[in-house]
Amino acid sequence: MSLVDDLRAILGPDRVRSHPLEMRVFDKDAGVSRGEVLAAVLPETTSEVAACVRAARAHGVPVVARGAGTGLAGGAVPVEPALLVVLTRINQVFNVDAGGRTAWIGAGVLNLDLSRHVARLGLHYAPDPSSQAACTIGGNVGTNAGGPHCLAEGTTVTHILGLEMVTADGDVVTLGGAAPDTPGLDLLSVVVGSEGTLGVVTRVLVKLTENPPSVRTILITFDSIQAAAATVSNTIAAGIVPAALEMMDQPMIIAVENFVHGNLPVDAAVILLAEVVGLEAGVVAETAMIEQIATAAGATSVRVAADEGERALLWKARKNAFGAVAQAAPDYYLHDTVVPRTRLVEVMTRIYEIGEQFDLEMLNVFHAGDGNLHPLVAYDAREPGMFAKVRQAAEEMVKVSVEVGGSLTGEHGVGLEKRDLMGLVFDPIDLDAQARLREAFDPDGALNPGKVLPLGSRCYDYGLTALPEAGQA
Amino acid sequence: MTIGQLVTRVARDALSDPIAGAPPAEFTVTPTTGEDAAAVLGLAAEHEMSVLFWGGGTHQGMGHPVDPDIIISTAGLNEIVDWQPEDLTVVVQPGVLVSELAARLEQHRQTAVLPEVPGAATIGGVIAAGVSGWRRLRYGPTKDRVLETRLATGDGRLVRSGGRLVKNVTGYDIPRLVTGSFGSFGLITEVCLKLWPTPAEKAMVEVADPVAALRAAYRPLAVVETNAGTTVYLAGTSQELEEQAQRIGGDLLPGHRWPEPLAGPVRLVLRMPRGETARGVSMVTEHGAPYQAAHGVGEVQFVADGIELADLERLREAADAAGGSMVVADAPPTLGLDPWGTPPGSVPLQRRVKAAFDPRGIANPGILPGGI
Repeated sequence: MSLVDDLRAILGPDRVRSHPLEMRVFDKDAGVSRGEVLAAVLPETTSEVAACVRAARAHGVPVVARGAGTGLAGGAVPVEPALLVVLTRINQVFNVDAGGRTAWIGAGVLNLDLSRHVARLGLHYAPDPSSQAACTIGGNVGTNAGGPHCLAEGTTVTHILGLEMVTADGDVVTLGGAAPDTPGLDLLSVVVGSEGTLGVVTRVLVKLTENPPSVRTILITFDSIQAAAATVSNTIAAGIVPAALEMMDQPMIIAVENFVHGNLPVDAAVILLAEVVGLEAGVVAETAMIEQIATAAGATSVRVAADEGERALLWKARKNAFGAVAQAAPDYYLHDTVVPRTRLVEVMTRIYEIGEQFDLEMLNVFHAGDGNLHPLVAYDAREPGMFAKVRQAAEEMVKVSVEVGGSLTGEHGVGLEKRDLMGLVFDPIDLDAQARLREAFDPDGALNPGKVLPLGSRCYDYGLTALPEAGQA
Repeated sequence: MTIGQLVTRVARDALSDPIAGAPPAEFTVTPTTGEDAAAVLGLAAEHEMSVLFWGGGTHQGMGHPVDPDIIISTAGLNEIVDWQPEDLTVVVQPGVLVSELAARLEQHRQTAVLPEVPGAATIGGVIAAGVSGWRRLRYGPTKDRVLETRLATGDGRLVRSGGRLVKNVTGYDIPRLVTGSFGSFGLITEVCLKLWPTPAEKAMVEVADPVAALRAAYRPLAVVETNAGTTVYLAGTSQELEEQAQRIGGDLLPGHRWPEPLAGPVRLVLRMPRGETARGVSMVTEHGAPYQAAHGVGEVQFVADGIELADLERLREAADAAGGSMVVADAPPTLGLDPWGTPPGSVPLQRRVKAAFDPRGIANPGILPGGI
């Protein structure tokens, strides 16, 4: 029997897709690469996932897990013909514990749906990627996704208390739980963010966060990135960690304003969107302090959102930034590097220089508070040689970030896109350790092969035999 | 050549006197660099000698006992390597005292949110044992702050993982996995921690009902119940503190007074689902035990001297049934209670993960559940 026959025997004909035309829907994510899918399955339970994984293994076919496909780094794009396990149908909220502020949910639950589901309890799910209306929690777990509000609340991994996953062998294991510090190694911590290479996560126990009693969203304009960055640094130095600190440059402000009509200051060189949350007294005090710090740093205007409507509009503008870019060009390439907060100005200056050097149209919107940059290059892939140029500029921008002690990715993941750049950040011995860890979970390389680690990571030659000479150690 | 001479060859001047309170070992080694620590581990692996790591000794009562050939002390790795107050990060060596780091960071009104009453505990020890302080309720567990580690593995490799960045998903999150691994991968030789600003003011409110207080307060630092009563720990501006006191219904007491760690030869910890801390407390008070409970976290520490073994086994069964666990914080081996309880179903996977870092199984061998 073929793999597809076996899968149909497990799931029935409707939930196994293998028509070549249909595979075109599944063979790419929201990034730029395309792969090859042998079949896509739509399981509805963990045991169905386990059976599909076992079937694929029996046929020697690798397994790639996928949520909504909003990833940008190619994490869900198979690099060799694979079975795609699409988890969108495991989308139930199984068990909400209002007292303990936790919920067991399926990997296919949409990020924003979860927050909507628990809103009546005065709770929300804190990580809020810009794609939150479309992306799944399972996908968020895969990349350890972030979002504007991760500055104060931490990224996905700090909000996942437990998970159920199917191993490379097709077994089901549960890691973590509602009680703290499950005895033994905290494997959950490394499964989150592993981009589907250590297991197929089917259900997660999420931590829910209390809605703040009071919120202020502040829009500050500047005529230079230096002044905006100084405001960010001085705010943190003053002992304030706002809920969010987002920066947007003029090209992006104009694109977003044309799209959202949020009454954004299109003549500003840079805007900073700051949000403070908490008790009313604290929120008032912190808003005043940020206003003061911004003015001292040379802000040209400070506007506090007057009501919930205006606040929602500002966030709509921020979160629709990437959609807005379509007006500028048909394609875009979005970066995701991180630099120490204090190196922001220097790195942004060099990134603008790279944009000019390669003659590319660049727009910026990013998480300034945690140094997570998102330069976005708008381009037309139909122009000959254009994509190669965009990729080359991307690599330059990554190198600039790494040079100042930064890293390749802050929230999108390594996937395929950054895989071969891992050597910029890690030595061969470090990559070998990561490869060994992966082997412990997946000795045969059956889960999302070819992602995260460059090929050949596991061949660092380290013998136990060599004994250093005295004085060398 | 004797093993002692070999150790001297790979890590000159590292041989030291036995440590008071530590189990007997053939050698005690106090390396002063990560490279030396890795070299000693490489040698230990080659000769299949078991290694126990030692910091302040405050959490050595946890886990299965290790019978070491070599003890590696972190006392020689005691530098604060790099502190970037504006980036809210600090890089430290494992032998630095938790109390010393806290005092230094307070100079810029920052905190790594580690245990509040650490005694002799070291950074390395607290991270290896995965121990969090009371403020976990507000700031999350210690592992949330472990951004980068340099690890001397059980076979003598020196491996760096993570990065000195407050946000980063480049590569597997080994720093987080190392936290709470009880030295079973090797020795953490350097670690970068995420910091938080210290809030402007601190206060406490004493309450009668911890569950109601947890609901009424907005994200308090801690709600701690002991035999003496329950205290809500708060921080913020003075106006915020007033608002909190109003919500909770009580008077503000100035500052933070954290409970002194429980004393007694047998100390256990109930780990209950976070919403069922009160149930954990009632399970323990049934036996009249001195206890300290972190509401909203699910942790109930208690002194079990005088509680029958059969009753302890029943407590453990109840904790397991609730989806939690009961572990030993410290006890004489004569107690007869497994330090961890029933090993989790992921033990075979855990065994392979340990072997990825410590293929010869010489780093704190057997300390974890399932004898890993």
